[in-house]
Amino acid sequence: MQLVYLLILLPLIGFLVNGLFGSKLSKTVSGWLGSLVVLGSFAISTKYFLDFYTGSLAAPIDIKAFEILYFQNISIHFGILVDQLSVLWLMIVTGIGFLIHVYSIGYMHDDENFSRFFAYLNLFIFFMLLLVLGNNLLVTYAGWEGVSLCSYFLVGFWYKNESYSNAGKKAFIVNRVGDLGFLLAMFVLLYYVGSLNFSDLKAEALGGNIPSNVALAAALFLFVGAAAKSAQIPLYTWLPDAMAGPTPVSALIHAATMVTAGIYLVVRTNFLYDLAPEAMQVVAVVGAATALFAATIGIFQNDIKKVLAYSTVSQLGLMFLAVGVGAYTAAVFHVITHAFFKACLFLGSGSVIHALHGEQDIRNMGGLKKWMPITFVTFLISSLAISGIPPFSGFFSKDEILAAAYEHNIGLWLVASLASLFTAFYMFRLVFLTFNTNFRGTEEQQKHLHESPSLITIPLIILAALAVVGGAMGIPEVFGGTHWMKNFLAPVVASGSGAAHAISHSTELMLISIASIAAVVGIAFAYFRFVKGGALPLKDGEEKGLQKVIYNKFYVDEIYNAIIVKPLMTLSSLAYEIFDVLVVDGVVNTLASITYWKGKQIRLLQSGNIGFYLIMMVLGACAILGITIWQL
Amino acid sequence: MNALIYTSALGIICLLAEIFNLRKLIIPIAIAGLLAILGTVALDWNADNSIREAALYNMLRADSFSLTFSGLLISLTVLLLMLSTDFYKTEQAKISDYIALILFILAGSLAMASFGNLAMLFLGIEVLSISLYIMAGANKHDKRSNEAGMKYFLMGSFASGLLLFGIALVYGETGSFDIVEIRDFIATHQPTSMLYVGVGLMLMALLFKTGAAPFHYWAPDVYEGAPMFHTAILMTVAKIGAFAAFYRLFSACFIPVMMPFGWVLSIVVALTITVGNLSALVQDSFKRMLALSGVSNAGYLMIAIVTLYGKTDNAVFYYSLAYGMALITAFTIAILVYRSSETESFSGFNGLAKRHPFIAASLTIAMLSLAGIPPFAGFFGKYYIFSEAVRNGRMWLVIIATINSIIGVYYYLKVVFAMYLKESDSNAAPLQIPVIYSVVIAITLTVILAVGLFPSTVLGWL
Repeated sequence: MQLVYLLILLPLIGFLVNGLFGSKLSKTVSGWLGSLVVLGSFAISTKYFLDFYTGSLAAPIDIKAFEILYFQNISIHFGILVDQLSVLWLMIVTGIGFLIHVYSIGYMHDDENFSRFFAYLNLFIFFMLLLVLGNNLLVTYAGWEGVSLCSYFLVGFWYKNESYSNAGKKAFIVNRVGDLGFLLAMFVLLYYVGSLNFSDLKAEALGGNIPSNVALAAALFLFVGAAAKSAQIPLYTWLPDAMAGPTPVSALIHAATMVTAGIYLVVRTNFLYDLAPEAMQVVAVVGAATALFAATIGIFQNDIKKVLAYSTVSQLGLMFLAVGVGAYTAAVFHVITHAFFKACLFLGSGSVIHALHGEQDIRNMGGLKKWMPITFVTFLISSLAISGIPPFSGFFSKDEILAAAYEHNIGLWLVASLASLFTAFYMFRLVFLTFNTNFRGTEEQQKHLHESPSLITIPLIILAALAVVGGAMGIPEVFGGTHWMKNFLAPVVASGSGAAHAISHSTELMLISIASIAAVVGIAFAYFRFVKGGALPLKDGEEKGLQKVIYNKFYVDEIYNAIIVKPLMTLSSLAYEIFDVLVVDGVVNTLASITYWKGKQIRLLQSGNIGFYLIMMVLGACAILGITIWQL
Repeated sequence: MNALIYTSALGIICLLAEIFNLRKLIIPIAIAGLLAILGTVALDWNADNSIREAALYNMLRADSFSLTFSGLLISLTVLLLMLSTDFYKTEQAKISDYIALILFILAGSLAMASFGNLAMLFLGIEVLSISLYIMAGANKHDKRSNEAGMKYFLMGSFASGLLLFGIALVYGETGSFDIVEIRDFIATHQPTSMLYVGVGLMLMALLFKTGAAPFHYWAPDVYEGAPMFHTAILMTVAKIGAFAAFYRLFSACFIPVMMPFGWVLSIVVALTITVGNLSALVQDSFKRMLALSGVSNAGYLMIAIVTLYGKTDNAVFYYSLAYGMALITAFTIAILVYRSSETESFSGFNGLAKRHPFIAASLTIAMLSLAGIPPFAGFFGKYYIFSEAVRNGRMWLVIIATINSIIGVYYYLKVVFAMYLKESDSNAAPLQIPVIYSVVIAITLTVILAVGLFPSTVLGWL
């Protein structure tokens, strides 16, 4: 048996054990079991990674395990694909997944549904692995749906709070829109190409057998799916609400892994996008717009997790921008560095929330670095990374995206740079308001302030370390590097317009300088305003003008409510009252009563009288022979 | 293809075991013996075509149809025997008779699934039927059981007469009992009305055995009157055996003369499905509901005979497998519930989900599979049979069948409704679940799920 099956099955076993017998296990057993199965998967992933890294495995592992369904001449298998791209995702999902599992042992320690939480986490990892390892769109889709389901479970984990379970529902429902896109893409490809297999599709695409309008339709539909999963305009509204889930969930699902599935999907099907430049244009514009839009909203948020959520949306926008301009490697690179620093940021915010017993409003924090030095340092490092300060990891990946955007279109570059400037500002607004100045909470809270236990701080330290050195994977030539990742991913995105560095080294250096200066300006501005100036965010209801609009997230939720949700609700209640109750129920009930009545009549024939039975048999025999002879 | 001989011998050994006072060993011996026989069937299945076909002077023919159906019938019998350990706990004195009879039923249905000669067909049907008459009337102290045995016997002998008469007429026309020779004769000669009448009489006899309208009247009464476990045998091994004989006879011999029967068969199928379904709709007894749904299920299967021209044997086997497994699950649980609540009505299942969530979930899966809800096996069974029928231009029949499947959902879910949404009586005793019953349920559910999720694995067997 291939090792890769074990890789997938381990988290499933964890889920089954924790899900079925969790209530009988102690918290320690249940938590460590959940973590260790993921560690097992990580070990196997590492093996595959090293195989590809050292070159002992050059060709991808593409297994057709068994047939799922067939009809006409189409046959779809359950299949697994391990190649350079999936192996990178495997490393993130299982590696960061393991750290977050360990963190959760500490973070969720007092929760009554501890084992259920780990069961869901394990199930999530299982589906995420399925998504990444599928060798065709259907298997990926199965994982895609599965992670949605787990996201729903975990966002609404504290389901007794109604707004939390509503957030779970919202995440699920918005994702359904995207799932429809994904489904349509599969139908288009099945109908016109006859296969969902990535390798078949790639061969057909490279062989010129996919007409460009088919590729365009498929690429756009896939992007609808990707946009919902990765929270892009106009389907991003679920992600900030999804912060209702426990913080480890936000870190794992809504920062490091699930939300990057959209990027994965687009990079995986890059051969389709290459055939459809218009689709790429759409992706790039949507990505850039989301990056700036979400960054703007992030400036005025006061909930520590909401700020991070909007920053995630914004960073995902940057990744889509990269994909849209054909810089697939840069997008993957940023996915990885982002996974490091954003997971660290979320876990850091969790550590803060943990210390403050559930307080999430940064207006009631401040000065925490005195009590929580480890959390502070790791949070600061990650903030520097996300702001793009050299030599932290985010600097390299973000600059690669900016360079690619500049080469493609200077407007896109401007938008992205502005988004980066905002990012630096709001991230350091967050850092300063949380960790610097004086504590603004209650005295009761202050008495209990403490650094989190080592189960929480050790994952933070590891992630912060990765956030520092992660950039080494893609040091550009201009700094004398060889850009390891670009070479590594070359077999997967070989066809892509990977000639990202057509611009000269001097231009590149200039772009890097501008970006770094912009980041420093953003940080400095935050410093002077919040540390020197001692400014505080306004209380609720005091905002005015544009600030109020932005604070209320441009009223997008309200607009969606007014133009989509409300009319739909009205329509559906009308449909229910008139069409369903009167027409459908009426027809169905009438038919049912007729059927039931007929049934009662027919039952009377079953009288138990054997003479009657025999007469019926004889009559039947005569009828059959009669009809047969008449037919001759 | 010696499975038939081994099975018969095994039945005789069971009878002898009684003499040597080995009562306790009878069931283990029977199960072990059947597993060994299953092994020989598997060996045959792997063997070279030319070797396996020539055995036994063409009285039996070992082709992939007969071998897969033999395998299925033997497996179902093994499962039933596992249930019998507990069912016959209070009737130890008669155990060797019962087990031997079950083995003879299996022997009869094996002959019916693999006959190569009309004499073997008749012999198989009679061995099966006579054993069944006894099984149906097994409960001496129950009037309904007595009545069931008697009714079945009277009407069954009537059908045997039709079959024999039909065989005689076919012999008169073709001069042979061998199905290959008959096929070749029909292919090369212009058929006369004697042949048609002969085929028609055989058709009626087989319609009777499979319980198709208007020859189905015995079925509900017999299924209901017989002891619960014997009903399970009647509805699984006996019914699948009868259907295998039906399908085998017509697909092997009579395709060229099917034309005038096509129409009347379609009507019979539509009638069978509808009558079975509508009667099942209004039942209060779970057992009687299953009995009547068995009538409509025979109808769904017979669609495959109407559309013989296509390659339907895969679909027929798949459907039989799904149907057999779901019914065994249902009966296993029904036996347990009946034993604790003493009632055969749906109210016995009230609130079962709270007391026994796993049992309730298993029965739900079995019912969903019978109702034809994906991803369970029953869905694909229906799907493949219906799609063959559509391909052969029987759209109207498929429409009727589909409407009936929808009606079926109502009564199949009635028990699910009772289990999950109704409160149980406050004094309802918890079920006593023997380990072996859990094992049977685990096996059948695994098959329902596995075959439902990966239908192509089974579809390639024939």
